[in-house]
Amino acid sequence: MPTITVDGEDYEVEAGQNLLSICLSRGIDLPYFCWHPAMGSVGACRQCAVIEYEDDEDQQGRLVMSCMTEARDGARYSVDAQTAREFRGGIIENLMINHPHDCPVCEEGGECHLQDMTEMTGHTLRRYRGPKRTHRNQYLGPFINHEMNRCIACYRCTRFYRDYAGGTDLEALGRNNQIYFGRREDGRLLSGFSGNLVEVCPTGVFTDKTFSRHYVRKWDQQMAPSVCEHCGVGCNTAPAARQPGSPGDPWLRRVTNLYKRDINGYFLCDRGRFGYEYANSPARLTQVMERDNIELIGSSSGGGALSHRQIAPADGVEAFARHLEDHGTGKHLLLGVGSPRSSLENNFALRTLTGAEQFYAGVSAVDLQLLQLVNSIQCDERIRSATTPEVEQADAILILGEDIDNTAARIALAVRQAAQNQRRRQAEKLKIPDWQDAALRQLPAAPVPIVFAGCEIPALADCCSDHVIGTPDALVSFGEAVLEAIGASRGGTDQGDTLTDTGDSPLSRDYLQLARDTARALVDAERPLVISGCGAQHPGLLRTAGLIATALAEERDEPVNTYLSCPEVNSLGLLQILSSADQHLERAGSIMADARKRGIPVTLVVLENDLFRRLPQNQAQEILSSADTVIALDHLLNDTTRRAHLVFPTAATPEYQGTVINSSGRAQRHYCVYEGIGFIQESWRWLADAISASNLHSDTADLVRSWQHSDDVSAALAEALPVFAEIRRLMVSLRDNFNVARQSHRASGRTAISAERRVAEEPPPEDTDAPLSFTMEGVHDPAKTTLQAVIRAPGWTSNQSIHKYLQGLNGLRVERGAPTLLQRPQKPVPRWQSVELHACGNATNGSTTSGRLLAVPLHRLLGSGELSSSAEGIASAIEPPFAKLHPTDAAQRGIHHGEQLVLNLGETRRQLHARVDFEISPGVVGLPCGFPELADITVRLPVAVHIKPVTASDHTAGGDEP
Amino acid sequence: MISQLRSMWLVFRHLFTPRVTVEYPDEKPYLAPRYRGRIVLTRDPGGEERCVACNLCAVACPPDCISLQKAEDENGRWYPGYFRINFSRCIMCGLCEEACPTYAIQLTPDFEMCEYDRQNMVYEKEDLLINGPGKYHHYSFYHVAGKAVGGKDKGAAENEERPVDIRGLNL
Repeated sequence: MPTITVDGEDYEVEAGQNLLSICLSRGIDLPYFCWHPAMGSVGACRQCAVIEYEDDEDQQGRLVMSCMTEARDGARYSVDAQTAREFRGGIIENLMINHPHDCPVCEEGGECHLQDMTEMTGHTLRRYRGPKRTHRNQYLGPFINHEMNRCIACYRCTRFYRDYAGGTDLEALGRNNQIYFGRREDGRLLSGFSGNLVEVCPTGVFTDKTFSRHYVRKWDQQMAPSVCEHCGVGCNTAPAARQPGSPGDPWLRRVTNLYKRDINGYFLCDRGRFGYEYANSPARLTQVMERDNIELIGSSSGGGALSHRQIAPADGVEAFARHLEDHGTGKHLLLGVGSPRSSLENNFALRTLTGAEQFYAGVSAVDLQLLQLVNSIQCDERIRSATTPEVEQADAILILGEDIDNTAARIALAVRQAAQNQRRRQAEKLKIPDWQDAALRQLPAAPVPIVFAGCEIPALADCCSDHVIGTPDALVSFGEAVLEAIGASRGGTDQGDTLTDTGDSPLSRDYLQLARDTARALVDAERPLVISGCGAQHPGLLRTAGLIATALAEERDEPVNTYLSCPEVNSLGLLQILSSADQHLERAGSIMADARKRGIPVTLVVLENDLFRRLPQNQAQEILSSADTVIALDHLLNDTTRRAHLVFPTAATPEYQGTVINSSGRAQRHYCVYEGIGFIQESWRWLADAISASNLHSDTADLVRSWQHSDDVSAALAEALPVFAEIRRLMVSLRDNFNVARQSHRASGRTAISAERRVAEEPPPEDTDAPLSFTMEGVHDPAKTTLQAVIRAPGWTSNQSIHKYLQGLNGLRVERGAPTLLQRPQKPVPRWQSVELHACGNATNGSTTSGRLLAVPLHRLLGSGELSSSAEGIASAIEPPFAKLHPTDAAQRGIHHGEQLVLNLGETRRQLHARVDFEISPGVVGLPCGFPELADITVRLPVAVHIKPVTASDHTAGGDEP
Repeated sequence: MISQLRSMWLVFRHLFTPRVTVEYPDEKPYLAPRYRGRIVLTRDPGGEERCVACNLCAVACPPDCISLQKAEDENGRWYPGYFRINFSRCIMCGLCEEACPTYAIQLTPDFEMCEYDRQNMVYEKEDLLINGPGKYHHYSFYHVAGKAVGGKDKGAAENEERPVDIRGLNL
């Protein structure tokens, strides 16, 4: 290990690192702007200058940019030298010349890297009195606010947006002193990672517009570690809350990234960052409601919707308890429907309440089958689930059928970094360090083999070496060809090129060749990766991906990294709780119908689930109407809660403590950031309250009654199901009054914020679940515990201070132990036959017969998420529902781009905007998955549909069906 | 003995010195303009609220008795949606005035704020806002800061060039 001397102190450092990252990770404060731990160095801002001495005799030294200087063994440096300090002071003075003196009205103020660095450099007095250069701002959409005057031209925004995240619509325009970072014209930033600009920009040029609507300074924010609830990746977030001081303000103010090396690192996608607003949505449930007996007039009842009235929570719990008692006497059938977007604790509480046999997954048969496939593939010992850094290091990637840009966006961002790996290898040969970002990106290198196979050309296409666009069936055939080619290379001889066309293959010669090339690339790679998932809603694709990964592992004689994306935050966790493989919604429906036939009354408890997003409308309606009583627990007023007889308001993810399992089988805790308003409480608490209020006496009822804390439920879960044995490790018990403060040490307004209602201060709420306090009293140091989500350090108010709490550059957070994983028994995947691969959940294979097209789901980052669609900002950015089809298919049917078309699926008929585009495969029509207006259709996909242009009669018949 | 006589003499002499105290409340003492009494929110010379809801007063406040919420009008001007001072906690230290970057919050020479009910010591923005600039007559924050607001465009603040035309040659 090389040793260097900085200001007389000796440091042992890792070889090949630059001086800036060494200094920062050793706790030496050195100002910088353009450097970013994930993006490397470009030496643009000149702020991190230090003195390098030639040898021991050298007293003068010379100025070098520490971010561009590789630490030499035995070298002597000085950060503190007068020359270096003066130089850095001059630089910041220059950078500040045009800075607009508007910190008080800047959202970045109080967590601003520029403020920190100005302080650190000691630039306290402005000497320049000349005129300042000004810029006009642009409208950048509902998420990002633009204030160009504040720019110091460090280029971090375009380096992140273009180089790191692959965006194209943010550029450095203009020249010299007038440089301008923006779009060519006003409009929404189109990249799904635009929100990261807020954290990447060291000044206030890009700020969070949704946050600005209910802005609070960082020192006033109450934070706790949380997990993003909008997809299965499980990114760590730090939601920020503040007590509302006047009636209109919400509790939850924003979401920022919380560094977690193995999952999200420094970045979040826009759905995760801006989706939080659903918790503040006007549709939020805050009261216990009971069915009212007013008959709704036909047009507003919307097929079974009931009107509700508020009741006292105790009455609601009492009514719930009565239903449980009936069930206890055997006169009643009690069914529970769980939820993949709720925590393990909530689902387990419902399972305990209803009994394992009567607990159903809140997903359809196909979705459950997909989850089981993911699970069984991950349980194969030849398969490893890749962490995000492992995805970034992959040198050959096959993405089969999963549009990860939209279903697991953070993983797509990691794949983008993997696309640079050939360059990194090339740089290593040329002895260029990998943090030399500008040099690295200019190196000519062969593309990294990243092959995407899907129905639509993805946003990721620009960093893929090849892509295959086809119907799901063709994609399976492509996968099979890859599989066959891997098998052929196993034969000992390299026969990849000599494979002959059998003639009856559905693939073109080009695709067959590509399949062979892909197979060879995967076999030859050092770190191959197979990515697939549930997004295509096609079990065959998942099976094919599983077979390819296992064949590859056989070939390489070591486990192969895979990433299988699950649709929701706790999909994989819900699956483990089920008692058998067929506990899906359709079965729940048939059991209920059966009971009804036999005259047994049915009570259905729906936990945080909208059945209308899981099943076609008529099936969902049938399930709800065949229950005599529907008891729903949820965050938002949706189609299911509208039809429930009893509705309980439940805590959203930032409002309670729970455990969720991400797509890689990793268990993570999210903590309560603030207590929900009104009568909101955790679902498991409502269920436990109902049991406590009932006169039931059994072992399970007594167990539920004994639950006081969230950890009691977790412990019972770990006890009951060995697969969750490890989650005990997530329980942080209170020791020696060890409390972590949710508020910063300088939270303000404590004696005024609620003084309007009552001048005497009320005691803060107590958290009975976690060793965190709702006040500023407690541990503040993020180095002491990972429960501390307010990331700051003396002199470092912004999130950039995270480097103080990591074990080395981009390392694990200090104190973070090994990941908590599901303890699943290992079992090899079955050898699926070709027929099973082509079998698709819903559709017939002859998709294009009799003029029909195969409708496939197209996921969209903004719009496909259930909860995030209710967020104000995201809702305004969701595209109008469309049907996307290939020009040849459109021409055959006389459909033109931009016009309306009619889509017929069984009895359902919809008018949609036609989007005619070469991006989509012929033979399919893509429908935006999970969009509020289309959710009940897209759950059935892929399925064959009839498409025709709108005729005059359609206009008279009206548009959408109710 | 001598010391006792001297003390008596001194006390006797004080009978004839002028009084320092006044007959309050019949007679009001003189309080300097910079006396630290009741807090007000002032307006800029244009008559607009000076407070930009930056929260610096709240964070400077030792007894944490100031609370406010940022709001923004359609032209980008920040103002406090609500502004609350709990005078029953206020120690009249003046740190809020020192922290204020816009001269919005000022302490005044008025201390007569007794109430029978402590709840009445909670002042809202309506109670705090006065119709004038207070001690600082000419300062207007938005004429110095580079943010555009209604009535002041980009480049119109003090010492600012006209906005750059990014489509121009910019020679």
